[in-house]
Amino acid sequence: MNTPNILTRRSFLSRTSALGLGTALATLTDIPFVMQRALADGNIGKPGPNGRVKKLLFLFLRGANDGLNALIPYGDSAYSTVNRPSIYIPPDPGAAWQSSGPAYFPASGATTGTFVRPDGTPLNGLALGNGFAGLHPSLKFLAPVYNAGDLALLHRVGYPRQSRSHFDSQNYWETGSPRDDLAKDGILYRTMLESGLTTTNALTGVSIQSSLPLILRGSKAAMTNLSDTGRYNLLGVPNTTAGNNKADLFLKAANASQGADRKSRDLLDLQYQNLTKTLETFAAINFNQEFLDNENTDGDVPYNLFPTSNATNGGYAARGNNAAKYVVPTSSYDFFRQLRSAALVLNKTDAIVAGTQIDGWDTHSNQGGPTGSHANLLRRVGWSIYALRKYFLQNPDQCRWDDLVIVTLSEFGRTTIENDDNGTDHAEASVMFVAGGGVKGYDSGSRRPGVFGCGPSDPVAWQTGQTGSMFQTEKRYLQRAIDYRSVLGKVIRDHLGATQDQVNRIIPGYAKSSEALKTGGVQTADGVRVQGEPDLML
Amino acid sequence: MKLQRFWATPCARVAGLLIATSTLSVAADITPDVSSLRVESGKPVIEFAPVPAAVEYNLYGGPDFTQPLTLLAGTRQDYRWTGASPVSGDAGYFRVRARTLTPDEIAAANLLNRISYGPTPDELEEVRRIGVDAFIEKQINAEAIAEDLDTPVPFVEEWRKVTLTGVVTASTLYVYLDGVGDVYLDGLRLVAGATDDGTKPNLIRNGDFDSTLGGEWAFATNVNTSARSAERAKTGNASLHLVSTAAGSSLESSLSQAVTPALVNNGTYTLSYWYWTADSTRQLTLRFSGSGALNGAGIQSTHGLTGANGTTPSTYAALLDKREGSVSHLRSWHLMKAMSSKRQLNEILRQFCENHFVTEYSKSNDYMDGIGYPNEVAPFVATQLEYTENRKWQAALLQPQVTFHALLKISAESPAMIIYLDTVNSRGNRNTDGTYRIANENYARELCELFCFGVDNGYDQGDIVQLSRVWTGWTTEFRAPADIHNPFAPRSTVYKDPNVTSNLTALTNLVGSWTLRYSPTRHDPRAKYLFHEKDANGNPIAGQPRKVPARFGAPWAGRSYGLTFGTSAYTTNTLDEGYAILRHMADQPFTQEFIVVKLCRLFIHDDFRTGYNFTDAETSPEEETVKAAMLAWENPPGGGPKGQLRPILRTILKSAAFRSAVASQQKVKTPIEYAVSAVRAFRADNGDGTFTADSDGVGLQAPLNRAGRMRLFDRAEPDGYPESAAPWISAGTLAERLRYVQSLSLRPANRPSGELDSRTVVDPVAMLRRKKPEALSDAGAAADYLLDLLFPAEGKANLEAYRRLAIQFLNTADDGVTASAYASLGVGSTNHDTRLRGLVSFLLTTSRFQEQ
Repeated sequence: MNTPNILTRRSFLSRTSALGLGTALATLTDIPFVMQRALADGNIGKPGPNGRVKKLLFLFLRGANDGLNALIPYGDSAYSTVNRPSIYIPPDPGAAWQSSGPAYFPASGATTGTFVRPDGTPLNGLALGNGFAGLHPSLKFLAPVYNAGDLALLHRVGYPRQSRSHFDSQNYWETGSPRDDLAKDGILYRTMLESGLTTTNALTGVSIQSSLPLILRGSKAAMTNLSDTGRYNLLGVPNTTAGNNKADLFLKAANASQGADRKSRDLLDLQYQNLTKTLETFAAINFNQEFLDNENTDGDVPYNLFPTSNATNGGYAARGNNAAKYVVPTSSYDFFRQLRSAALVLNKTDAIVAGTQIDGWDTHSNQGGPTGSHANLLRRVGWSIYALRKYFLQNPDQCRWDDLVIVTLSEFGRTTIENDDNGTDHAEASVMFVAGGGVKGYDSGSRRPGVFGCGPSDPVAWQTGQTGSMFQTEKRYLQRAIDYRSVLGKVIRDHLGATQDQVNRIIPGYAKSSEALKTGGVQTADGVRVQGEPDLML
Repeated sequence: MKLQRFWATPCARVAGLLIATSTLSVAADITPDVSSLRVESGKPVIEFAPVPAAVEYNLYGGPDFTQPLTLLAGTRQDYRWTGASPVSGDAGYFRVRARTLTPDEIAAANLLNRISYGPTPDELEEVRRIGVDAFIEKQINAEAIAEDLDTPVPFVEEWRKVTLTGVVTASTLYVYLDGVGDVYLDGLRLVAGATDDGTKPNLIRNGDFDSTLGGEWAFATNVNTSARSAERAKTGNASLHLVSTAAGSSLESSLSQAVTPALVNNGTYTLSYWYWTADSTRQLTLRFSGSGALNGAGIQSTHGLTGANGTTPSTYAALLDKREGSVSHLRSWHLMKAMSSKRQLNEILRQFCENHFVTEYSKSNDYMDGIGYPNEVAPFVATQLEYTENRKWQAALLQPQVTFHALLKISAESPAMIIYLDTVNSRGNRNTDGTYRIANENYARELCELFCFGVDNGYDQGDIVQLSRVWTGWTTEFRAPADIHNPFAPRSTVYKDPNVTSNLTALTNLVGSWTLRYSPTRHDPRAKYLFHEKDANGNPIAGQPRKVPARFGAPWAGRSYGLTFGTSAYTTNTLDEGYAILRHMADQPFTQEFIVVKLCRLFIHDDFRTGYNFTDAETSPEEETVKAAMLAWENPPGGGPKGQLRPILRTILKSAAFRSAVASQQKVKTPIEYAVSAVRAFRADNGDGTFTADSDGVGLQAPLNRAGRMRLFDRAEPDGYPESAAPWISAGTLAERLRYVQSLSLRPANRPSGELDSRTVVDPVAMLRRKKPEALSDAGAAADYLLDLLFPAEGKANLEAYRRLAIQFLNTADDGVTASAYASLGVGSTNHDTRLRGLVSFLLTTSRFQEQ
């Protein structure tokens, strides 16, 4: 007989009991929403024994971060004024990069500027205590996080047959499928799809920026972008408190009324409920709340964790409106609003992933050294990670610092040799930062460093000199030792709770031995040896 | 006591698939599931599940189900019925019957949600007046619908009439210009009521200016050189030549008349007048004192003198034609046409082409930036590529015998596509060491997977490698106007400014446009075997073309569909390989199936798929529709080439599946459909070139982007924007959708900053005044009219809860609690306008309006 092919939640239940579940399980999206979580394997989005869900916050540094000037390989003589005449960052005399121990953190106190020494000269590269690497002085606030053991600094991160196009390479980072122009959805989108929660949770993957980035896009579920968390309330006519209440009241009554089965209605009903939940949750969140450090920051007074004005930017206001006491550039207030929203969304809602981006890393000219345009960008990153750690430690709610991992992404690194415009051009491997309470970073007892891929004894050794690692690809570029997918795969499995099978679906390269993503080896696409997954989770 | 549930024939539910009414030719009479049957206070209470498209639910009963059951008296609220009579005796049988919309009614309701961007009040009336089939035919034969939205209306000197209806709170009429200038006016009439049939008495004295100007007209200083003129007249023998030496705004700066006797306060009147068009930027205003406070409900008319009606698609087309349009202009052009074109089916198809043959503005922009255009110029060049291909599709769709092949060819030749899928730099020529360069596979793959055959449908990776070699050499060049059809012509040497000698070769100083360039020296000259059997190493075997699989059945199964190109020299002839491929692939059964399924998903519902076995006994309305449309593709009933779109569309739109309840409201609107349909729902034609809802297209762009990143002409992924619901609907995207319709419903002055601007507006009072005047004071009439307009396929019996809420909304004050009768608000008052806008806002935010 002629049977129109409309599957409803109700009919699914009777069909599955008639046919058995086996054939229906090919993809979770064919299954009614209420059952997707029950049928999903793995622990993504599933509360652990402490009742909380593991979460992820991503920061995409768009434009390609110069890794060599962020996590500086002082142990390589090729990092020099010869190769980088105007942008070279000398090691700071405060602590020798050859030393062993904690990272050097020069607290500036009440009077000294944030990024200068007491004599007024700029801070230079800060020793990390692994006998090889240093941090750009703009990243000085990473030092306390590093010394607490909550930060992994990864160098020489890339992927096989690196594209030097921003467009392609950002896509590859976001899809998790390098050199696959057909990959159409994002790596974190797929992660959320594997959770089985995309249609039942009010929020799963959330970005807070102008529009949804590819990393969260896909064709089977809608992730959420919040262009401005302040916009999310219902408007009535007239747009007054009473009018808005009336609109809310009647919409709820309409949503409560029953309708005939339609293909789309299960989804719409659920997402309207999610909308109501989200709006109620958001109404209870003060997205403009100020959060102060619980101790004297930088040897000064407690600073505001999310600077959104001059007055809340470092010690500026407390020190007689002294601009030298800023912790971040004044142009980054919008970003810190977005970052605070991302933190609040993770902490106050059931969202599993949230993130945003920092633009402007394409430093082809006048990149600067200890100060300048690249330094200003790095200040945002250093302070972000410091502030997020403090925020989650001090304000634990649905997400504690131990439940969170922060990752930074950037499409490629920049040329080893400075160009004629005092800048750097598109290149290969660069750096990734991974932070969180569960990250296996620096250990003060054993002095185990939290640096990967930029130390004296890496699994894939850093070759020094003019023919070394910094020139190993096409005799021009820093060669990778770590595939970014190994880092994300490790985090998605060991932190978010994916099974290995899920990781193989989320990151297709994992299923191929030629990619050597898990245990390392030579990646056959271009014959480069990588170390596999870095041991960066506790 | 024995009470029994009772429902229809055993085949009503099979293996959990919901039965609907797809093949019934008359109103379906079906029996819903009964979910509860009990006795309360001695009376039977029955609850049952709603049936799609139900217009009526009735309860039947009797003591013996082998005898006909009789209609029972009782009361019903939604899906719960309570019998009027106590249960008598110890036995009773009950049956619920639902009467649904007829297939024709369902088709009529669906039609405007499928072949247009949602119903307008005018089009809903038209479909019901001329019938479904006639409407479909009219839309399919789009060229017969007189319309040209792309050519700016040339300025013509002539008399133009303006008519407007509204309420008045004062009796003085003001007439003024917004600065120095002049205009001829004639035939000024004011009559009581919402219409003027020409027989009512004119309340304006000396409105045709045929008598000497007396005290009836008062001239303020800035207009005191105005005079009667016999130079031209529309009515009688003279007009008024209004001469303004300064901007007017009020009694002290206008031509005015105090109407006597005084007009009825809050009474409705209709004003009309003629003006002589002028090539001027001045704005003419006629209004009654106090009209500004009436929020659009008063009598106030402000317009330019050129006879053009504000921003139109041609405003943007004019810029785009001059290559001065940005991608935002292009989007506004596209969205305005989607909203306003009478050729709605072609608008849907234009967007289908744009989305199916997807290209990305940003990638073209990067490319143009990279080859030497300045940053500020590249965006306009990239926009031009998108605009040019879109205009070509638009022209093709107006051809009665337009084929899929024609649309495919436009895409393949478009520089936007050549850049987007990397053919632009693809080379397959021989290296000096005897090896061959490796072609970029991107376009070849998408041609198979996304543009023609569909994923894994009749091709494999080996075919993609072979196919990629065909496209080597297809690149793009900037050509002089005389050379745009010559794919071998060199770069333009026509200069905009030949005197600029310093930079004569700079792209920005050249006249021309970007078109397909074929570069034979980049072409891979080796023999190519498309769609052939492969040997153990995956290499194609010459002489063994593949055959169409058996599942397609007649007339396709078993046909060879291989294609071979011999070894070639580096000559221009090798361009033909690409064209041969397009022609070959366009009409293969795989393409027929994939494109037909995609169209069925667009026009009927999402659950069509490729891969049906057309030869086995098992079938479904979906499979039958696909097969019928494929046959129409293969053998067009009217003769002519294969792949004609119109017979295919006819088959789909006239299929039983399209007329079933299964087709109605099973789909969720994409962001463009949602945003445009909200404006259209309130867009009634005022008859003078103005509408009761309008947009200049600008305001519609942000909601599209916010509600899931639908950036028209700039899709990053080659699969195009999805049609199905899940990728568009989340808490965050719903919040954005609701925010948009709520902003739209508000009077612009009340909108929060940063939301929709004042050039995208709806005026529900004006719409109802034109379409259903009694709905302005009768809450039930307002609810009925709006529910029918917004949710026509839902079925009246399923909208009863919405109807109660709508009436309650109208009869409740803004606080949501206090009773406040709609009927006593005073039509035209701010409160009345607010109340009705509130209802519109409420109805647009419901989940029903997400559906189509």
